[in-house]
Amino acid sequence: MRQSPDQQLEALPPEAPPALTPEDSARSRDRARVERARVEGSHRSLLWLLIGPGILAMLGENDGPSMISYASDGASYGLGFFLPFILVMFAMAYVCQEMSMRIGAVTHRGYGELVLQRYGRVWGWFGAGDLALTNLVTLISEFVAIRVGLAYFHLGAPVAVVLGLALVVLTMSGGKYWRWERIVLGLALFNGLFLAAALFVHPSAGSIGKAFATWSPFPGGGFNTLLLLVASTIGATVTPWMIFFQQSASADKGMTPRDIKQGRLDTAIGGVLAAVFGCAALVTAAKLSTHNGTAIQGLAGAGFPAALRHISGGTVGTLFALGLIEAGAVAILTISASTAYAAGECLGVSHSFNSTPRESAVFYAANFGTALIAGAVILIPGAPLLSIALNANVLATVLLPVSLVFMVMLANDHQLMGRWANKRSTNVIGIAVIAFVGLCGAAYGIDSFLQTIHVVGG
Amino acid sequence: MRETDTPPAGPGVAYGPHDEEELIEFLERDQLVADRSRPVSPARLGPTAVAALWALRVFVVVVSAMVIYTFIAQLN
Repeated sequence: MRQSPDQQLEALPPEAPPALTPEDSARSRDRARVERARVEGSHRSLLWLLIGPGILAMLGENDGPSMISYASDGASYGLGFFLPFILVMFAMAYVCQEMSMRIGAVTHRGYGELVLQRYGRVWGWFGAGDLALTNLVTLISEFVAIRVGLAYFHLGAPVAVVLGLALVVLTMSGGKYWRWERIVLGLALFNGLFLAAALFVHPSAGSIGKAFATWSPFPGGGFNTLLLLVASTIGATVTPWMIFFQQSASADKGMTPRDIKQGRLDTAIGGVLAAVFGCAALVTAAKLSTHNGTAIQGLAGAGFPAALRHISGGTVGTLFALGLIEAGAVAILTISASTAYAAGECLGVSHSFNSTPRESAVFYAANFGTALIAGAVILIPGAPLLSIALNANVLATVLLPVSLVFMVMLANDHQLMGRWANKRSTNVIGIAVIAFVGLCGAAYGIDSFLQTIHVVGG
Repeated sequence: MRETDTPPAGPGVAYGPHDEEELIEFLERDQLVADRSRPVSPARLGPTAVAALWALRVFVVVVSAMVIYTFIAQLN
């Protein structure tokens, strides 16, 4: 007699509990602390335990090329359009990163593996390829930022490379996500050096207020330069690595749907801090706008700290230089981590800071390897540092729409997300963000190309 | 659960059944490595969605090539 499916299930022996790996054990310990805080009703402890991926993604994106982009905005156009524009960009980043966190918390899987498994290998590998390309170029820019910062203290490129690589090695030892996250969070707070620098230049509160209120003065000058700065400013706030990173880190941290409220707060805190520090970099460099930017030509155009020392004094120059070193260092850690997560996810091997280098060899090798390759590039004499930094952000902007489209598709996948799938309002904003980013990236790419081949005038 | 109650993590550590039960209770079933290593089922994309994704992919590759070409030309 044929059995019904239910009868067949009943006839099966009870499922054996799964084998517990050291990675499970480490994650479970972190979750035990979260559950204890939740039972005790300690909201502050709960938030302290659950913050991390959002702040790291946002402050990690206040990286070397981003701060140089903001400073270029300020040095080129002064206080005006770009100040409120940065705020709007971070609001846009919040929408994207909240989705990323939510998908990670609900599915417990990274972006790379979900795209690969859900939509096929072609799309998964395309996404990983985009990420590898933008991450490599961006990592080069991070070493550039450290190089620019260290040059202020008369230290050369080899020191920048050794410092960056040493940080990667030091932070990833230990086999604990929690430890890695807290070290990087501690470093990321020094992004506040840009705020200190801005306070020291004594900016006009009236001019800042006017800029936020009126979005003016609107930048004049060359259309293509404006497009470059708009595209690079977008790329300075939302990039593919942030999406990969926050989703994978949320899963690695062990976040669950019950933690989404704190995850949103974490992302919002990160967004606010990053926006304030980003605006501070612009305000600081705006002092250079009255000097036609001639002083920033050192180090192939990225010599902001030396220029600021010349115009605003040694303290401002030193703070800005230290800020650039911090921005580059933190981003090297987070961007290398996002590359490592993507490599592990796409190859289907262990990918967690909760495992040791022996257990996750590919993950740790990708983490260190990408940083090593990027570091080697800045040792090339005469490399155009400012151009690399700005173009890294532009490339990220151009490649971003594909990552965003798949993220919105995942966030709308009711089979995966259940009741945590996107609401209609989130989709409307998400689609508007994709259209805006795609349009700005394409406008700069096409206009620059046509100028380069002399089809249109500059 | 106190941290000292949990066994030390590391390769080759043997967990007793009771320890495993205590540790597992703080994780959702699909958070375990064993469960996460099982792939999710593939989604069915309609022909319109596939065509739109390919169009976006081609667009992005073309614009990226323009940006990279411009960057290299500016270096020269």
